[in-house]
Order: sequence, then C-alpha cells, then structure tokens
Amino acid sequence: MSELIKVKQQGEARCEGLSYQDLLNDETIEVPAYLREDSNPYMGDEDIDVARWIGRDFHEQEKKKLWPKVWQMTCREEDIPEVGDHHVYEIVDQSIIVTRTGENEFKAFINSCLHRGRILRDNDGHAEEFVCPFHGATWDIHGNFKGIPCKWDFSHLDEKDMSLPQVKTGTWGGFIFINFDEDCVPLDDYLSPLPEHFARFPLHDYYKGAHVERVVQCNWKVGAEAFMESFHTLETHSEILTFTGDANSQYDTFGDHVSRSVTPMGVPSPHMPEVTEAETMRDILELSGRMATDSAEGHEMPEGLTARTYVAETNREMFSEIIGEPLDQATKSELEDAILYMLFPNTQVWTGYHGNIVYRFLPNGDDHTSCIFETMILMRYPKGTKKPDPAEKNTLRPDQAFSEAPEIGGLGPVFDQDDSNMAAVQKGMIASRKGKVSLASYQESRIRHLHQTIDKYLNA
Amino acid sequence: MATTDTLIPATDITDNQTVPVTLDGKNILICKANGDFYAVDNMCTHQRAELTGGRIRNCFLACPLHGVRFDLRTGKPMGELTRVPLKTYDVSLADNGNLQIELD
Repeated sequence: MSELIKVKQQGEARCEGLSYQDLLNDETIEVPAYLREDSNPYMGDEDIDVARWIGRDFHEQEKKKLWPKVWQMTCREEDIPEVGDHHVYEIVDQSIIVTRTGENEFKAFINSCLHRGRILRDNDGHAEEFVCPFHGATWDIHGNFKGIPCKWDFSHLDEKDMSLPQVKTGTWGGFIFINFDEDCVPLDDYLSPLPEHFARFPLHDYYKGAHVERVVQCNWKVGAEAFMESFHTLETHSEILTFTGDANSQYDTFGDHVSRSVTPMGVPSPHMPEVTEAETMRDILELSGRMATDSAEGHEMPEGLTARTYVAETNREMFSEIIGEPLDQATKSELEDAILYMLFPNTQVWTGYHGNIVYRFLPNGDDHTSCIFETMILMRYPKGTKKPDPAEKNTLRPDQAFSEAPEIGGLGPVFDQDDSNMAAVQKGMIASRKGKVSLASYQESRIRHLHQTIDKYLNA
Repeated sequence: MATTDTLIPATDITDNQTVPVTLDGKNILICKANGDFYAVDNMCTHQRAELTGGRIRNCFLACPLHGVRFDLRTGKPMGELTRVPLKTYDVSLADNGNLQIELD
C-alpha cells in the first residue's frame, strides 16, 4: 500500500451499524441540505501537550494573540433593549462597554476613563452619558467627550482626541459580537456557514428564557471540550444510553471557526442493542430535559411505531402548540436530536425546535486554571404576542450544583455529571507523567480542530 | 413601634416606574417590578444620589448617577461602587386599593 492511500484511509473508521445519515434516509419530510453535510477531513492523530490547558505561557499567548484577534460573543441584543443600555463585557484582563446607540446600532468602547484610567462603568445598566465615578469626566453614549470638571485645569487636552476608543461590533442571531482587531475578517465571513445552517432557526426572534453561570475550576478549553464529543456519554451519562446514539454521532468541521456534532436521539446507544422501543421512549421523555414533556406518564408506544418517530411526533405537536403555528417542515432529527455547533473559540449553540441551548466558556479573568461556564436557553413564544423580557443572569456560587438552577430543568443534573469531570481533568493533567493527551480519531476530532485553529492564531 | 402609612393607589404606578414619597421626613421610593411593589430609601448608598427615575430591569433598580444596581427584593447592591445595601420596607395593599408600607 502506498503512503498516500494509507494516509487517506486514516481517520475513516466509524461505529458499526446505523449512521446519522442512515437515520436521515428514514425521514418522511424533505431533509434540508445542512443536515446532509458530512464533512470531517482527517486532521492527524498526534498526542497533544497538556501545557495547552495547564501552562501559564500558553494562556499568555492566548492573551496576546487569540483574544485580541477573534470575534467573540458578548451578550444578547435583548439584554440591552433601549438606547443607553449597556453590558460590561470582560475578557481576560480587558473590559468593554457594549452599548446600544440606536434602534439597531451598537458600539463597544474600551472601558477606561481617558483621564486617570478608572473603568467608566462597573456593571451592566443604563446611562444617558458615561460619567466617570472618580472625577466626573463625561462622554455621551456615542463616545464623544463632553467635558470634565475644572476645565481650566485641562487646556492641554483641547488638542487631543478625547473620543472613547472603540472596537468592532457585529450581530448575528440576536447576539452582539466584538473584535479588538481593526483588520479582522468581516463577521459574516467568520461565521460562515453558521447563518446558512441556522436559516430555519431565527435565533434573533427568540428570547432568553434562562441564563445561568458558574465558575468551574478548569481552563476554559477543558470546559468547552466537555461538550464537543458524545464519546463520554457511555461513562459519564450512562443513564441516557437507552435513547442516545452516542457512538454513532456524526462530527463535522466547516472551515476554521465552525464545527458540529449531531447525536441521534430516540435511538438506543450502539452499546445497548437489547433496549426495546418502549424503554427508549419512556427514558427519553423522563430524562432528556429537551423534549416537549418531561414525563412518560400516559404515553404508550403505539404498535409498529419507533420511539424516534413517536417522540418526534409528540414534540412536533407540543412545540407547535407552544408557538401557535404548525411545524410541518420539521424533520424528526430537528425535533429531537442533539445538533450542537461550536463557533470558535468559545461559543456553542444548538439548532432544533426545542429551546435552543447556548454555552459559553470564558476565561475567569486572568486565571488560566478556572473559567466561567454559562448556559442560556433561547425560547420561542406564541406568534402575535409580546416578546417576553430576557431572564436575568443567575450566578451560582462555586459550591452550588447546576441542579440548583430550576430554570435549566433536566440540563442541571447532566451538567453536574459533566462538572464532576471538568475540574478533575485539570487536576489530572497537572499530575500527568505522560504530559500529553490522546484523542479519538473521529469522535474527538472537533477538539483537535479547536486546537489547530488556536494554533493558526498563535502562529500568525 | 411600627406605623403603617397609606400611600398612592396601586393603580397609579406602572411596571418599571418609580414614585418618590415623603413619610415622617423620610424620602422613600415606591417601585413596581414584574407586577410586584417595592419600597426603598430614595438615596443611593454610594453617593447619596436620589434614585427617582432610575432604570428598573427585572427586580433591579439602577442609580441614575453612576449606575449602581440594587436588588429591590433585598436592597443588596451589585458591583464595586458600594457594598452597603439599600434599606427596604414591606409594601402591602390596603382594602381601599392603596399601597401601604410599614415604617420602623
């Protein structure tokens, strides 16, 4: 066998049995093109050095070359609904005031007074103008300098540009993004193909029904990676195997900034061939946390129907009722599967007709050994009614369990199981004699993709 | 001893609105948020600014001067500008439809 052929075949092994694409062949509704994409170029199998997660040097490189260059999600447009509303976005040691300056216009200012450097805004809120709490230097919400008390003592500032420095902003899906880099690629190019893949899910029309955050004692990448593969389901979430196609999940990468996992639901794990359709149906309703109902009471599996079809149709009916319009064009996959996208570097969003879950993993300030894990759930509401106000962020204490946040329902206990690994991975990486981690060729390919893109930024 | 003071009709205040009242020489701010009524001292614990007209979002009132946010339920401030909570008062609805609060 020539080297060329050998390389081509590496990384092509897949779990035996039904693939996600096979399941799509059973759809009765036309399958949208984005679900038919199956894109996983082989990226290699080399071990990865633990210094990337535990090393201070690596964090310093990210601080210099990654965070100043990437588009990053700051908040939802609905979080700052009126002109003058603002959100203070903090990333590593930087602070930004993201402000609504018009009906559909946002600006982002460096949060630092041009007089003595104090941060101008301590927290989110509303302002007619930005008055520094230290000496009172003032800017309007567009960043124009309005003055400072005792102007007679500042004639030397007359010649200087006293406008608040800005960074780039952009919006997609109701999220506001910023980029510190003047010469960055346009946001639309950076996001591609996300907007196309989310065409059926207008996230900007949804409202934030829940927002929970907590500090986790691990590097932000350890946190993000806990949600980038379904391989861990077998050992970490074994109670959901009766309805989760863990090993036959599909993993895709699209360019440098977007990747996806699709985990079939309503089918048993390939590790559990003996499960009956009735068991799958009962458990998915009881335990998934993402279905239209969280109880299997009163649900009987009709003869001749699969659990996947029965649950999809139950979801179709109940989701339609919630939003007041039919979901005739929704595939079973979009009604129940776990279709999770990652937008580089730290934002993850689900498609589908249940509440759309969003994850974000922010470095916890300048500490490379802890991160802030956030979950939002974007919800639909009945057509023709007023959009509900977004949920206030619920910040859990470090000692609280995610299951203490009732607004995220069944996700809480699942996160608690993930949480049992995150800090432990950080600790184990530090203890490691091997000093490297090994990744599954296919199932953990999105993690390799994340690191290869990080390298593109660090080596640029 | 606590005294009960009858205030404005409950219908005179809409969601996210603030209404200042003076009782026993005290400046008190009546607020409505998410359909519930709250009463707090009308003086920011950061620099004693009046809170009248401060933005209410969910259960949080923001000081118009520097933006300190207070949880109307507990008076607890967010952020670094002050760590001193706002004094809060219990608000109830009188039989005649007026709001009433209890002063210490």
